Amino acid sequence: MAPKEQQTALTIGGERTSGQDIRHQNVLAAMSVANIVKTSLGPVGLDKMLVDDIGDVTISNDGATILRLLEVEHPAAKVLVELAQQQDKEVGDGTTSVVIVAAELLKRANELVKNRIHPTTIITGYRLAVKEACKYLSESLATKVTDLGRDCLVNVAKTSMASKIINTDDDFFATMVVDAMQAVKNVNARGEVKYPVKAVNILKAHGKSGKESQFIRGYALNCTVASQAMPTVIQNAKIACLDINLMKARMHLGVHVIVDDPTKLEAIRQRESDITAERIEKILAAGANVILTTKGIDDMCLKYFVERGAMAVRRVAKDDMKRIAKATGATLLSTLANLEGEETFEPAYLGYAESVAQERVSDDECIIIRGTKAQSSASLILRGANDYMLDEMERSLHDSLCVVKRTLESGTVVPGGGAVEAALSMYLENFATTLASREQLAIAEFAQALLVIPKQLAVNAAKDSTELVAKLCAYHAVAQQAGASDAKKALKAMGLDLIKGETRDNVKAGVLEPAMSKIKSLKAATEAAISILRIDDMIKLMPAQQEGEDPHAGLH
Amino acid sequence: MMQQPIIVMNTNQQRESGRKAQMSNIVAGKTVADIIRTCLGPQAMLKMLLDPMGGIVLTNDGNAILRECEVAHPAAKSMIELARTQDEEVGDGTTSVIILAGELLSMAAPFLERNIHPIVIISAYKKALEDALATIDRIAKPVDVTNRAEMLALIKSTLGTKFISRWSDLMCGMALDAVRTVAQDLGGNKVEVDIKRYARIEKVPGGEIETSCVLDGVMINKDVTHPKMRRNITNPRIVLLDCPLEYKKGESQTNIEISKEADWNRILEIEEEQIKLLCDRIAAVKPDLVFTEKGVSDLAQHYLLKNNITTIRRVRKTDNNRIARATGATIVNRVEDLKESDVGTRCGEFKVEKIGDEYFTFLVGCKDPKACTILLRGPSKDVLNEIDRNLQDAMAVARNVYFAPRLCPGGGATEMAVAVALTENAKSIEGVAAWPYRAVADALEVIPRTLVQNCGGNAIKTLTTLRAKHAAGTPGASSFGIDGITGNVVDMQKYGIWEPAAVKVQTLKTALESACLLLRVDDIVSGLSKKETRAPQQQQAPPEDMGQEM
Repeated sequence: MAPKEQQTALTIGGERTSGQDIRHQNVLAAMSVANIVKTSLGPVGLDKMLVDDIGDVTISNDGATILRLLEVEHPAAKVLVELAQQQDKEVGDGTTSVVIVAAELLKRANELVKNRIHPTTIITGYRLAVKEACKYLSESLATKVTDLGRDCLVNVAKTSMASKIINTDDDFFATMVVDAMQAVKNVNARGEVKYPVKAVNILKAHGKSGKESQFIRGYALNCTVASQAMPTVIQNAKIACLDINLMKARMHLGVHVIVDDPTKLEAIRQRESDITAERIEKILAAGANVILTTKGIDDMCLKYFVERGAMAVRRVAKDDMKRIAKATGATLLSTLANLEGEETFEPAYLGYAESVAQERVSDDECIIIRGTKAQSSASLILRGANDYMLDEMERSLHDSLCVVKRTLESGTVVPGGGAVEAALSMYLENFATTLASREQLAIAEFAQALLVIPKQLAVNAAKDSTELVAKLCAYHAVAQQAGASDAKKALKAMGLDLIKGETRDNVKAGVLEPAMSKIKSLKAATEAAISILRIDDMIKLMPAQQEGEDPHAGLH
Repeated sequence: MMQQPIIVMNTNQQRESGRKAQMSNIVAGKTVADIIRTCLGPQAMLKMLLDPMGGIVLTNDGNAILRECEVAHPAAKSMIELARTQDEEVGDGTTSVIILAGELLSMAAPFLERNIHPIVIISAYKKALEDALATIDRIAKPVDVTNRAEMLALIKSTLGTKFISRWSDLMCGMALDAVRTVAQDLGGNKVEVDIKRYARIEKVPGGEIETSCVLDGVMINKDVTHPKMRRNITNPRIVLLDCPLEYKKGESQTNIEISKEADWNRILEIEEEQIKLLCDRIAAVKPDLVFTEKGVSDLAQHYLLKNNITTIRRVRKTDNNRIARATGATIVNRVEDLKESDVGTRCGEFKVEKIGDEYFTFLVGCKDPKACTILLRGPSKDVLNEIDRNLQDAMAVARNVYFAPRLCPGGGATEMAVAVALTENAKSIEGVAAWPYRAVADALEVIPRTLVQNCGGNAIKTLTTLRAKHAAGTPGASSFGIDGITGNVVDMQKYGIWEPAAVKVQTLKTALESACLLLRVDDIVSGLSKKETRAPQQQQAPPEDMGQEM
């Protein structure tokens, strides 16, 4: 029987699920994705170990990383996975919580639909709720960073790494992250202050222990000098950044030179080696004593550098080179030719740094450019027991860097540890009662859904979640009462202390998160939930059957 | 339709989570540790490993053994990585780091069963690590790197556990000499000791182990290119090249079309002239010896021979670098650039000797060589390989002492001292964290215990005696350890077993951090398939679905 004859119900070859079935399926899929990552939430969350088919191991606590490595197949679940990736790109942290909130919103929406409330009503309710929540968050809960100072940044970094492997050394790493972020601060042409996370270079070298990771005010390159005869330390470096092959010149493909005199042939060969020699001479004459190139340097050319006591490094990654050029004030040259057709190398092309040194890290070497002139740069050299640990450390630090960046840019923070979620939940519940429409139900459910974060935090810590969350809600309810005294208003910062299993003032305890990250994750989670909620029909197309396979298919 | 299963995840994955995942990690860690448990201490046994290619590895070096083991469990893989880290960072203590990490993991198992949160265990472990490092710092004593006797004793304790312990005096001397040779003071309290590049171990099967030595220069496995060239030169002038002494072809592609007969001859003549020119330029600096990394044509050999220059071709780049450092020559690429300053003159004697069936070139008697070759002789290749590994460890130890001249008592004394200190501290810790903290102390005792077990002693009796000695707290008590040969408690101060503090510190750090890493895991997902492997399954799926619909 040929497959085509079977699909009479649908003109296209495929499968169709609709109505309550598909909604149920989607919610189930979203829940199962959230279930995977939910144990990694919070300071007492644990890690996941992922092994791929070649046997490579990844140990991670980062929601986005875990979901990326799990091959999720269900389309609705994929939406959540993408949500986590998006959060990772946009904010850098909070990838786990965004997935958990989205799944919870879906679950509750599904219950409402079962009670014969139309999905569009729920969607309107959710939209309204998230709008109110964000407004309340930025107006009442957020605190200005300027009031809190550097300690606040360190605390923000600490909070983001609390759930990660570097948790126990958070003092050390948080300072490192804040230093690094402040080192790369720059102001762009339009006068905006930027904190490019990518400008913080992270190198990994196994060995020693996590605490011996270094923060270097400079750029660390994972390369070695081209020849062992070169000096390994150069003070007052004048750096030439090239994108040129320093090898014997070779004619481009298709270029022919025809000579009559056989002796000329030799002259051509002689010239081949001279061309590069002259180029190097020009570069050295301009005063360069450190030459970095993204291409190769052949043995012949090395000698010129060795003789002049210059340091040459070949095969530098292009991205690294661009940043070095920016930091040292050098011009990255892809050719020496100038407009007149002559080959020149101006001293103006050079970049400056206090020192360039090759240093031994573990069993390897790396080149460290310190005291770059144009812009300060930052590098982190991570040390740790093995590569898996280093990879996870890198991911964790990246998250922290992003969070610090967001805090510096947005300038407001909110208390962490479930405080914001509990406060918003109480606020929305009050808000819901003021509405006399059907949206009231949706908003109330939204309020309840937010409580999943403090609940999950408590569950991960093996505490009594019902009791803790109830306490937390009580505090926030008091804080939000109209005409509450100042002492009572201060209760709005109450959050969970998961080690002791109590509630405490999380602003005082230094558990802080950037407000922007919270707002973005709330919005993103709602949007994702809404987009899944809108689905009432799924048509899954058959993979196109190839002509050649048809005879086999007929056998079934 | 309601009951239709929803496939969210790829179906061909295995997932272990919660307690099961934690326990399987712990078991995996312990299994890896058990493999190499018998390789610790002076009474250690070797392991014989057959690699997939059929080669044999005969060793008791933890890293070398684990490198050959193929393990499937992710946690076990992570453990094996530890040995590599340890080997690359300090070069010694690979066995102890694995044993310790395995023990720390298995110590955590009862706590997990008692429902103590892994985070609590980890923070207690980290706290213990800090205190342990402080204790090591307290009992470590400084060492004078220039004192040969002290350094020898130190290296001896590393080699004591190894295959070559029978020749330990000779080997220790060699390791120390090699490290001293390549050590270079960079000024500003910086010392560069690049063993990897400048101390080469050449293994020549045959002869006796006793004839192994460190050369005050370099040896390479090459012969002169022309039999008539001189094979013995005192105080040679050496030129190092990395270009071929042949007619050079250009980089650009060349096609030759010849229309006149005279041109053909001219081309051939040019080739000869070129070579002559090359050789004349070399001869201009009057060298006795020319090394090149590339080939030497017959014609060039002829010209060079006429000038009484000995040539050696196809030298490895690394060898050439070593020769450059030992003799003071600069490697030259274009003979046109050859200058008087590029010629190396620090070599005392050049000779070619036949050892066994092969010719070897020696450049010895160098003045202040900064590179050296260690010539190893021995009965068979496998034995030589093991000696090589041992010597690498010994050199790494010597190097570490150069960097951080501090010593700890060996023979399990340091571990015991730390264990006792931690047990003492544990009493003042509040809350559940005290148990895991104390567990670290118990785990550390695995080192002295294994030492006793490996030499067939009574572990419980000896260990309690040792613990009592340390706990007494009399001055010098911290140096009591296990004599790995008899299994008795001895004073390391008198017995003379010391180990570099750097190795001990690194062992503790690596073991504890990796244990923490594995304890944090509560979910293992394995067998994730990549997109390529997924495609066929999707194609298989439709027929099955159709079957259901029918």
